[in-house]
Amino acid sequence: MTAVELDGIWKRFPGVIANAGASLTVQSGTVHAVLGENGAGKTTLMNVLAGVYKADEGAVRLDGVEQHFTKPADAIAAGVGMVYQEFRLIPTFTVAENVALGAAPRIVAKSAIEQQVADLAERFGLHTEPGREVWQLSMGERQRVEILKALWRNARVLILDEPTAVLTPDEAKELGRITSSMAAEGRSVIFISHKLDEVKAFCDEATVLRGGKTVANSLAVDDLDAARMAELMVGEATAVSQRRIRTTAVGELVLGVEDLVVHDIHGRAVVDGVSFTVGRGEIVGIAGVAGNGQRPLADAIAGLLSTTAGSVAITHTDVSAMAASERNARGLAYVPEDRIGVGLAPRMNVVDNAMMRSYKTLGAGPLVDRGQATSRATSLIETYNIKVAKLDVPLAGLSGGNLQRLLVGRELDDEPVVLIAAQPTRGLDVQGVKAIQDILVEQASDGVGIVLISEDLEELFALSDRLLVMHEGRVSREFDPDTATRADVGAAMAGAH
Amino acid sequence: MFGLRLVRRENPLPGGQVFAFMVGLIVALALGAVLLLLTDHDPIEIYSKMADSSLGSPQAWSTTLTQAVPLGLAGLAVAVAGSMGLWNIGAEGQIIAGAIAGTWIARLGPDLAGPVLIPLMLLAAVVGGGLLALGPALARAHLGVNEIITTLMLNEVAIRIVRYLVNGPWKDPTAVGFPVAPELPEQAALPTLFERANIGVLIAAAVVVVFGFFAARSKWGYELRVAGSSAQAAEYIGISLRTKILTVLVLSGAIAGLAGGLRLGSSSRIVEGIAEGWGFAGIIVAALALMRPSGVAVVAVAFGALRVGGTAIKGQGVPASIADIIQAFVLMGALGAAVFTTYSLARRAPGSENASMVEADA
Amino acid sequence: MNGSLIDSFVAIVTDIGLWVSILEFGTLLYLAALGETIAEKSGVLNLGVEGMMAIGGVSAYWMAIESGNPWAALLFAALATALFSMFHGVLSVVVGADQVVSGLALTILGLGLAAFLGQDLVLQPPGASFEPLTLGPLSDIPGVGPTVFSMGPVSWLAAALGVAAWFVLTRTRAGLSLRAVGESAATADAAGTRVVATRLVSVGVGGALAGASGGYLTLVLAPGWNEGATGGLGWIAVALVIFGAWKPGRVLLGALLFGGLLALGPRLQTLRCQADQEDACIGFDVNPILVSMLPYLLTIVVLVLLSIRSRNRPSLAPAAIGLAYRREER
Repeated sequence: MTAVELDGIWKRFPGVIANAGASLTVQSGTVHAVLGENGAGKTTLMNVLAGVYKADEGAVRLDGVEQHFTKPADAIAAGVGMVYQEFRLIPTFTVAENVALGAAPRIVAKSAIEQQVADLAERFGLHTEPGREVWQLSMGERQRVEILKALWRNARVLILDEPTAVLTPDEAKELGRITSSMAAEGRSVIFISHKLDEVKAFCDEATVLRGGKTVANSLAVDDLDAARMAELMVGEATAVSQRRIRTTAVGELVLGVEDLVVHDIHGRAVVDGVSFTVGRGEIVGIAGVAGNGQRPLADAIAGLLSTTAGSVAITHTDVSAMAASERNARGLAYVPEDRIGVGLAPRMNVVDNAMMRSYKTLGAGPLVDRGQATSRATSLIETYNIKVAKLDVPLAGLSGGNLQRLLVGRELDDEPVVLIAAQPTRGLDVQGVKAIQDILVEQASDGVGIVLISEDLEELFALSDRLLVMHEGRVSREFDPDTATRADVGAAMAGAH
Repeated sequence: MFGLRLVRRENPLPGGQVFAFMVGLIVALALGAVLLLLTDHDPIEIYSKMADSSLGSPQAWSTTLTQAVPLGLAGLAVAVAGSMGLWNIGAEGQIIAGAIAGTWIARLGPDLAGPVLIPLMLLAAVVGGGLLALGPALARAHLGVNEIITTLMLNEVAIRIVRYLVNGPWKDPTAVGFPVAPELPEQAALPTLFERANIGVLIAAAVVVVFGFFAARSKWGYELRVAGSSAQAAEYIGISLRTKILTVLVLSGAIAGLAGGLRLGSSSRIVEGIAEGWGFAGIIVAALALMRPSGVAVVAVAFGALRVGGTAIKGQGVPASIADIIQAFVLMGALGAAVFTTYSLARRAPGSENASMVEADA
Repeated sequence: MNGSLIDSFVAIVTDIGLWVSILEFGTLLYLAALGETIAEKSGVLNLGVEGMMAIGGVSAYWMAIESGNPWAALLFAALATALFSMFHGVLSVVVGADQVVSGLALTILGLGLAAFLGQDLVLQPPGASFEPLTLGPLSDIPGVGPTVFSMGPVSWLAAALGVAAWFVLTRTRAGLSLRAVGESAATADAAGTRVVATRLVSVGVGGALAGASGGYLTLVLAPGWNEGATGGLGWIAVALVIFGAWKPGRVLLGALLFGGLLALGPRLQTLRCQADQEDACIGFDVNPILVSMLPYLLTIVVLVLLSIRSRNRPSLAPAAIGLAYRREER
């Protein structure tokens, strides 16, 4: 029996078409994988089903009945529960309190609620301690609380958005048992993933999205292999667009990363022994599904995150013990994934942001030479074609592309030897993407060594001299973009060996 | 739900705070008029009397400016901390600490000449105010203890210290009735500037101007603003948040302490109520000035006039507290009006309610 | 020396008057601190307690004279102050103004308004007082009889409200929602809780209790009205919430402790002055003014300890305290 039917869903956002007639059919009593690259429209489609978005066109049907959700509560009432990647739990509440919040009886008898939550958990084989406070729990346990929240509200369709991204392998296996026990009760689970092995292990059928459209509908997972999955996700290897022609030979070493290990606050090794080098004028691309350690790797190289082991060297000088600002002084530039916050201060104006790296050199005494600061900002604006109406207004009004050009420009202004660019084109429009890519290419030909971390395979193939794939905190494979196929790289990103 | 919703403006409305302040002032005067009418007073008569006594003559201006000195310095103290996103609610206590320290110096060297004694007293006041802020600063910088509550609590401690001193060790044995400290030596009084105003006005103005310039133009002030705007960005460019918190809070206390020291130059002795609520009023001043020194100066003079006017109408049977009421209403009116400088009204677009939540994958 | 120390100690603590006074100060502080606890639990810091108490004090005193009924006066004070607290409620919760600024403005406004409205009440005699409650044979028990079992009715009311607040906060759906709103407004909103309404009600309840506390001050603890009657008691109430780690039960213990310090201070001095027998009170030469600093200093110490405690676990303070919530900003 068909539990969920999404039919011809269109959803447009300003400048982006997230879903272009996507469809999905999920049978009751099954675990259904939804696959696709970042930006394929998976999360948007799921948010339509969860009542967060209203589709521009298309129909949502549950058990054959058409639904018109206007808010998440409508979807919850209709039996759709969604577990987001960022958990929505209150750390100081107990498991039982989190589960019951918003759906509790008028009088909450603590032990009774805890017993009910324990019973519910046992029914689906979820291990949990209802009386413990959530902050004490591992990520896997927290995820189970989120699942319990949905079950408490009697969800018949449970959407899990990349649920294994935060889990240890054992926790992931446990999750697989939970989803199958839910399916055994006749419920449906929609499992968003990039990883082939877990799709094969946990799911019955798979639907693949690409560019907002459904490219494969309800395939049996037994028919799926790494090559087929990668091909469906990233598409046929179309003619490689404007592959960068190297203008200089790879020169001396400018960045050396050796056996770098970074642990997160939960003690997980999010970067687990990464080594690579970058030469003068070289662009080293790092591909990978989000959450495989790229972000902490970039922060650690920049000096914003402390490392457990390993070393970072800039032009043969070990900078492992140095603060971020000292690394900057030695020629490291960083364009972080969080443009606003880490990179730019949104409440300050363009001039103030433009001089962030150089303010100490502007003016001799304790005062900042505003004239110099302004002329620097003006020259950045001209060089990098940043469109601002006024120099003295807060950044908040600038578009993403202008913000990014300002940040990139500022980082490149004092001629670094190494640039770490993390997701530098994400969220930009076509022209914005091209402008940033052109800057990167130009800088490389001027001899800057660049680490380009991206989730956009097209970009990585076009720009990189070497292509590394990160998986679960490690560099799992290295490819030559001239000879590798996208299917190969896609398979490595999904964890195939 | 309502068809209309508030949308954050890309850039705050230019001149928005002036608009908000004017709205606040109008609201406050209107509400004050209602109160006066309810208590059988003629608001126009009362308001014109207030304006006349505070702004109507050079003498009126001199009293207004004298009131503006502690208001402005307390406001600046709050604004200094506020520019880094910290709250110094302890200006009231730091004013007292400054006055205590100044008095202490005067008691140690009652025979020193004025030009020696006055700078020493002011220096001691600065140190005293800074010392009272040191504890909250250390606790905040090293242990992350909320500075709002610690500075607030120390106000009450400082009030009790001065109460203890004037009732005990510093009690004037010759005074009858209310316990007070003995008068300060004559040469401790600040030289007169004009009418009733003394050079405290110049000192305070100089501090506000110099600090305002320094905060806006120096590398140190720049670092402060970066730290206040984004802790991560500050770390990236090598600014130590801990040092910044410590220096800013102590500096803030020192500025408030100076206000206490300058008060000694205008009143002949330290009394229990030496701070007169200026520390709390300073928070209103700073909030209305959006933590900018230039704004602090303007608001301080306006509020100084209100206070002078409030005292002047006591003879009419109107409590001086009308000035406090109007001050509070100005702030509340301005807080309400500020919504329209940072937000604009827009029609609610269907389905857009939660649009910002899921943009990442769109 | 030692003998006299012990003698003075015994003389002070066996004085029934001390314990009666502790319960009275405790009642006053608990009413206001309980209200502030509820507001802060919902994520709204209200630094207007001092001003709200003044409003409550003046309105209770006025109503007592008008009606001659102490209960009517107390109820009027609670309602008037709840209404008054909406200045802060609307500004900080609906408009999203800074809670610190808005709360302090409420204190300044409350003190000013109370002084303004109460100017004609300053020399007027009280209009009503509460009948003492005697509980028959219970009141004859030595020790607790003349103290706990002779408490005024408002003290029993405060105790009952404390139990009720504890029950609502920890054992009901409404309390769960209220705490959720104070921990994470966005999470509570996603779970279907009405954030703005919950916070407004919490601020209003906090205002009502602060008003009742002010009324208790002018009707019972120190009958009469004058400008500055609250004299920093409201700040002690704010401190108590932290001292009691946002838990109604611990706040009660704190109220009794701080009430004890307030009651003890003047007694130390009284004893010293009355005792003409030279050595009767050596060693108790503690200035009462210095004793009255202790609540504030203790609160700072507790705050530091709480910060150290929360180094590797969540703070006991409601996580969303001081944060305005607007749905579009998620």
